[in-house]
This record gives sequence, C-alpha cells and structure tokens, in this order.
Amino acid sequence: MSHPEFHYIGKAGPRKEDYRFLTGHGLYVDDIEVPGALHACFVRSPHARARIAAIDIDAAKQMPGVVSIVTGRELSAWTDKLRMAPPIEGLHPVEMTTLPVDSVRFQGDPVACIVATDRYLAEDAAEQVMVDYETLDAVTDMWQALEPNAPKVDESLASNLILHQSYVHGDPAGRKREAHRVIESTFSQNRQTHTPIETRGCIALWDEGRQHLTFHVGCQAPHPYRTQLAMRLRLPETQVTVISPDVGGGFGQKITLYREELTVAALARHLKRPVRWREDRLENLTASSHAREDFCRTRAAVDAQGRILGLEFEILEDFGAYCFYPGNYLARGVATGLTGPYKVQDYAFDVKVVLTNKVGNAPMRAPTSVTSWVMEGTMDAIARELGRDPVHVRRLNMLTAADFPYTTAAKEVLADITPRETLEAGLAAVDYAGFRTRQAEARRAGRYLGLGICVIVEPTTAGSKFYKAAGIPGSGHEAAWVRIEPSGVINASVGLGPTGQGYETAMANAVAEGLGVSPQHIRIQLGHTDVAPYGMGSRGSRGGTAGGGTLYLCALDARKKVLEIAATMLGVADFTSLRLLDGRVERREAAGEWNPTHVELTDVARIAYLDPQALPDDMSPGLEFHKTYDPPPRTYSNATHFCEVEVDAATGGIHLGRYLVAEDCGTLLSPTIVEGQQHGAIAMGLSGALFEHVEYDETGQNLSGSFADYLIATAHELPSFEILSMHTPNRSTPLGLKGMAEGGVMGAIGAITGAVNDALAPFAVVANRHPLTPMYIRELLRGKT
Amino acid sequence: MNKVALTLRVNGVSHDLLIEPRKLLSDAVREDCRLTGTHVGCEHGVCGACTVLVDGRPVRACLCFAVQMAGHEITTIEAVAQDGQLSPVQQALHEEHGLQCGFCTPGIVMTFEAFLKENPNPSEEQIRDALSGNLCRCTGYHNIVAAIKKAATQMQESAGYVAP
Repeated sequence: MSHPEFHYIGKAGPRKEDYRFLTGHGLYVDDIEVPGALHACFVRSPHARARIAAIDIDAAKQMPGVVSIVTGRELSAWTDKLRMAPPIEGLHPVEMTTLPVDSVRFQGDPVACIVATDRYLAEDAAEQVMVDYETLDAVTDMWQALEPNAPKVDESLASNLILHQSYVHGDPAGRKREAHRVIESTFSQNRQTHTPIETRGCIALWDEGRQHLTFHVGCQAPHPYRTQLAMRLRLPETQVTVISPDVGGGFGQKITLYREELTVAALARHLKRPVRWREDRLENLTASSHAREDFCRTRAAVDAQGRILGLEFEILEDFGAYCFYPGNYLARGVATGLTGPYKVQDYAFDVKVVLTNKVGNAPMRAPTSVTSWVMEGTMDAIARELGRDPVHVRRLNMLTAADFPYTTAAKEVLADITPRETLEAGLAAVDYAGFRTRQAEARRAGRYLGLGICVIVEPTTAGSKFYKAAGIPGSGHEAAWVRIEPSGVINASVGLGPTGQGYETAMANAVAEGLGVSPQHIRIQLGHTDVAPYGMGSRGSRGGTAGGGTLYLCALDARKKVLEIAATMLGVADFTSLRLLDGRVERREAAGEWNPTHVELTDVARIAYLDPQALPDDMSPGLEFHKTYDPPPRTYSNATHFCEVEVDAATGGIHLGRYLVAEDCGTLLSPTIVEGQQHGAIAMGLSGALFEHVEYDETGQNLSGSFADYLIATAHELPSFEILSMHTPNRSTPLGLKGMAEGGVMGAIGAITGAVNDALAPFAVVANRHPLTPMYIRELLRGKT
Repeated sequence: MNKVALTLRVNGVSHDLLIEPRKLLSDAVREDCRLTGTHVGCEHGVCGACTVLVDGRPVRACLCFAVQMAGHEITTIEAVAQDGQLSPVQQALHEEHGLQCGFCTPGIVMTFEAFLKENPNPSEEQIRDALSGNLCRCTGYHNIVAAIKKAATQMQESAGYVAP
C-alpha cells in the first residue's frame, strides 16, 4: 500500500491524555470510590513447598471488622479450575485451582483470603490465620528441576519438564563436521519481574438483581480477560463487564486473570457486597508474575572468515511453579527468532522449560528479550575467537535488501526490514573507527572503554495465521468502531487496553488519517467491555498495526459514506472526486487541485441522523461503523543499538556513555509516542541487564521483596538516548505500519553486554550472565588486573 | 485500635478526621481527604510516587503517619495547577512527553515543584540526581530530564532572569 502524503499521522506533538495525569485526576483502579466496599487481603505461604495440613481461621474470624475468610476449598466449589492444555507438541497439560487446596508451590502462594471493612483490619486478621504446613524440599533452580530424583513441583506430571521441543532445518550436524571451527557460547539471563509502578488490584461489584458482575481491573486485554473471568465463575459473558480504567503500567503483567482477582470476584458474588483488593509491593515482587531466567547455548559452525555455516541452539527456561501461559510461550519464540537478521539455513534448536518452586512466569516486555543478546553475543564470540572485527563478522553474515522476502530456517518470512541499513548508518553516527582509536588510547592510559553493537529483528504484530501455525488457540485480529456523532465530533473504540502507551493520542491520529478530521475532535474509548469491540488487547507490540490499522480501515469506511452523502448534497456524480480534510469536504478540479465546498462534516452528520430522507436512495441512516482486521502472519521492525561504556577495572563498576539506536519501525502514527516507547524499552533492557534480579535462596525464600533489594535503574544510572529514525513502510499492512515497543529491550540487553565484553577484552574474560553487577565483574577480573 | 481526632491541613483546606494513629499519610490523603492524585507505589519509601509537600518540602507520604502532620501544611498534586492552568513543570512534562502511564507523575511533579525553587538553574546531573528518588518504569527518564530543564529555563525567563 502506498501513501505518499499523510495529513495527521507522523506529526510530533503532545498527548491527549496528559492533563488528567499531570493534575492528579487520572483514575486508576485504586482511585475509584465504591461506597461500602470491603477490602481483601491474602494469607500467603511462608514456605516454597509444603502440604497444607490444616487452616485454622477461628481466631482471625473474631478480629475486628472481619466479614469473611475463605480458603481454596470454598473457592473450588464456586469457581472452575484453569486447565492449560493447548494442543502443542511436547507440552504437558496442567490444571490450577483458584487458590491452592492441598499444597503450596512457592513462598507467597495464597492460601486464604480475608475480607474486612478496611485494609488495615484485613491485614491484622491475616496475621491470625494459623496454617499448619508440612514442609517439603523445594526445587529452586532449573538444573535441579531436571535431576531424576528432583521433587515434583506439580504432582500430576511425570517430571518437572513441562515442555520439550526440538527442531532441525538443513544439516547443522554436517556443517559442524565441515567447519573451520565450532564456537560455543553460553548466556544466562537473570530472573526479573515486571514491576509496573501501579501494582495489581481490582474491585468487584455484584448486582444481585441483574445477576451481573462489574469488575474494575487494570488490564492489557479486557475482552479476553472477561471471557476467562466469566468462564471461571460459570457466568455467561453477558453477565460480566470488565472495566479497565487508567492503568499504571503493565509490561505483560496485566494480561491474564490472576487467582487473587478471581477470588475477589467470587467473594463479591458470594457476599453480595463490593470487594476490592490492592496488591502491595511485597506481593507484587514475590507473588504476581516473574519473567526471563533462562540458560542458552549456541554452537556456531564457522568458516575461517567467520561465516556461519550452521547453528545449534539450546534454551532451558525456569517457568516457576504455575502455568498462567503455555510453557512454550516464551522460550520457543527465542528459538524461532534467534537467527534474526542473519543468513542461517542449517539450524537446530532444543527447547526445554521446567517448573520450579518460584512465582510463575509471564511474558515481560520483549518476552523473547534474550534473543538478540544470544545471537549478537555469538557474533562477538566468533569475532573474538577468529581475531576478526565484530562488524566484519556481522556484515559477512547479514541479510541484505536483495535477500528479502527471506524465509528463515524456522520458517518465518522476513520482509520489509532494513538491518544492514541501520547497522551502517549507526556505525557512521557513532564514528566506529574513531571509537576504536579512542578505545586504544584509553587502554594505554589504563581506562577500559567498550562499544556494544546489537542488531535486532523485532517480531511485532501476529495475525491469526501465526497462531494457527504455532498451534496456539486464539487470534491476532483486532476490532474497532467509529461513530460520527450528530454534531460531527467522533467517538471511536478499539479492543486495546489502556496501559499507558499514549493510545488515546496515537489511535486518534489513525482515525483522523482515515476520516479526514483533526484528531482534536476524536475521542478514543478504551478498556470497557460494554463499550469497546471484542479485540485482543495490548501486548506483543500489536497496538499500532492491529489497533491503529483496524481503526484506520474503519475510518475509511466512515469517510466513504460521508463522501457519498456529500456527493448527493453537492450534486456530484462521483464521490471519489471529493475528499474530507479537517472536517470540510473538498472537490478535485480538472487541473487536479483541491478546492473547498460549502459542505462540512457537521452538515453530513446532521442529515445522516436528523434528516435521513435526504440521504441517497437505499442508504441507511446514521454514521456508525464497525470493522475487524486480521494482520499478516507476522510483521517485523528492526534496529541496531550502540552502547558505549567504561568499566572500572578496580571496582567492577559500569559507567554508561553514549547510547544510540538506528531504527526502522515503519510508518509512525505518532513519532512522539514511538520515541517514548523506544526510550522506555531501552531503559527496561539496561535496567534488567545491569541491576534487576529476583533472587531465591536454596530453600526457596525470595530475597528480593522490596525496591531496596530488587533494583530498578533510576535517572542517575541511565544515559540519554539518541535515535536515528530510518523508517520504511511495511507493504502488506494499512498505512505501512509495523509495530514496535519491545525491540528496545532486546537491543539494550545485547548492546550493554557486548559493550562490557568489548571493554574487558584486554583481560581475556567474557561476561555471560546477568545482572552485570560490580561484584560479578570483579569476580571475572580477580587475579587479572 | 482507638481512633484519634486530627485536623489535617491539605491544600489550604482543613479536614477534621477521626483515624487510627497508624494510618499512613498517603492513605489519609487518598481515603479521608479523597485526594487520589497522590499514588502509592511501594509503601516503603523507595519509588517516590506518593511524594507530597509538607510545609513546602518534599516528603514521602507512605513513610509518615497522618497524626504526625498536625500543625503542618500539606500540598498535593491537586493544588499545583491553578484554575486549570498547568504549572511550568506540568506544562513542560506535557510538551516534552515526560510521562506515559502517569502513575509516577504526581510524585515527580511534587519533587520538582520544590526542587526548582531551591535550584532555579540546575545542571543535568543535578536534575538526574534529584529525579533518582522517583522510579518511572515507562519513560527511561530521558524526556523527564528534558522537561525539567525546559521548565527551569521558562521559570527563570518569566521571573525576569537573564542568563549571564
């Protein structure tokens, strides 16, 4: 699709949603006043693995303000289990009750829920619930999980290996035999957690007269969430409304229905009173969802130049104790996306995912974040081992414009991406040769500079074909409606969740472009399942292409009808000689120029609603439009990240210098929003690689239960970011959209690690695990400085 | 727990409250004064989302009890914009895209309403240092830093200050 001229999208400018956030008038779940609401608090297991022998609630029930106390046993009667059993090769089916009934599986597992008249009283009572646990040995690391005699996290399974898949394309074993060298590299990614600054929380209101549940919850995917909630409560979907108000960040943590939320909903229905819950930070860090923690190994068969002849990849992921998502969800994506921008056809992978006695995993911004670090780390290892320049090795292996569309060894089709272009532009921008000179001078002075390069291919929007091919039930389509009101202003909605990415701004631009009306007259309504159409929500960098694309197509339908009506009003035979711009109908003259007419959108809207007899024959009244759109199987963005660091060899401290990214993420709905997503994603990647670490001891006690232990990068540690925009359109999506917002994490993880290893090169050591703490760097350098 | 009577002065308004002595200032402001712009992000004094001004100085409302505030003047985010007019800090955050989900934003606004009064011409390092007391998971801080620089410049210009 070619769109040489845009009128509304692609222009930088401030956001529509800011005023309420800046003035303290945002409405997050916990800001919603509900008269008479009761407060829930959860009693949580202090043990990583134990049998629940008995729960004594008598003392707690006598505490002031307590209204009700329930355990997994009551909840099992009121709700259905979650059965996670998609027909995926190598994946074992599992089930999960609403709260544990017989045993607990991690420290923080909820075993009872107190409902009281206020939160302080509920917490007082929670301390009085006496649970008799028979403690058991826990599985606290993924290697232990694989041992033959390891305790079983889920007794219904034969072992802790919840998923095992392998795949071969071409003849990687043969390539190894022919190779000049086989270069092996390993990568250990640390366990992390999403930590939106707004923790989880919800409010359940049960309407006994209508037998209807209204559920307020900060949510990335309100409609699929409602489907899950209704099913688990055994209610028809007509009797559940999910309202996601302003959301203080999601990052993947606010997609699925959690056990605490289902408990609160069931209790409101049971008690016939409103019940609310707000998670505290301790719970958020130790009992919501975790992410990452994997071990990866590559074996690259290379020729003497550094060309990859064949590649083998292994990944082992620690999925935690419960499957809120299918076990293949994250690790398989790393394996299928690994080769990224490189030409590798002889490829094999082996994916293992194990259960352990830790919080269950969820996708976290760039669920396959480790991908680019592994591939680029492999490139750097090849360069290091063969004594070649890392840029040379990348150039030698990289796909170029002539190669696209390119079917990868994992059978994904890469098209409309520009990895080589972003690499070359970025190298020029950071003055690569100049850096090497500076680096050499600094080394002579005893200072250790490093430059990391990370070329990424970011898988973005997935269409229904992708889901079908991956064997995952579900779809990647999206839905939208647009309604031009009788006064000519526009309401529009799409099935995304409002998790803080500026959708009210970017989506208004998409409608504006399709319709021909300034975005200031367009209001985007999100997150209310009675208002929004059934869409798949905000996740996987799909908002722009799936959400914006659907709204744009829907607005095109609206514009067509508006122009057909205008043509009748103007006595013009062919509506295609008209256009709408800034709400005014214009006519193309013979010479091709556009001239205004006396007809405006407000005139058309008035007739459509208030004088339908004046409409063209057979045209239905009103201006309401609905559209669904299924994107291509997969879209991709790409970028090259450059990170400069100085490592203090004496302390192991890493000082971040220049950070630059050259990025191609297609047509932009709003450059302002895209830039903000680039910054935020890079920051999350750097923070995760340098500081963040969920730590369990050998008994399964979580040692990172506060922000003083689980460290998130502050403004003091992070650099400024430079962005080179090199956007080219995707030719198979509306407007040329590609999607973005997760690649920054992938790029940052790879670039920072590459930079540190480049700095450490004189010591002949390689950092291959995260976080890159000063202690770890010193451990590598000990005896070498 | 026995409740105590307390007059809490918030944004120039007196609130007569009957609350438990253990009630956090953050909870009293949100629940009893019904000013929900002050957000609670960690309840252990690290994230800075709950920052309010006590007698003009930034304080973490989750780290003090409401009963400690008798005789003090509290200012929350709701009092920063006047008659719908954003303050220079708020306006600059808007113009520079210095916020995304908005949850940490009130704490950042309050931090810098106080900071810029004491440091009218801060360096980037000083801004980053002051901002390091507020966690933001969305922005990577880059645009917040730019916004504070801009606000400082504009406040100085409107105060008639001419850069040397």
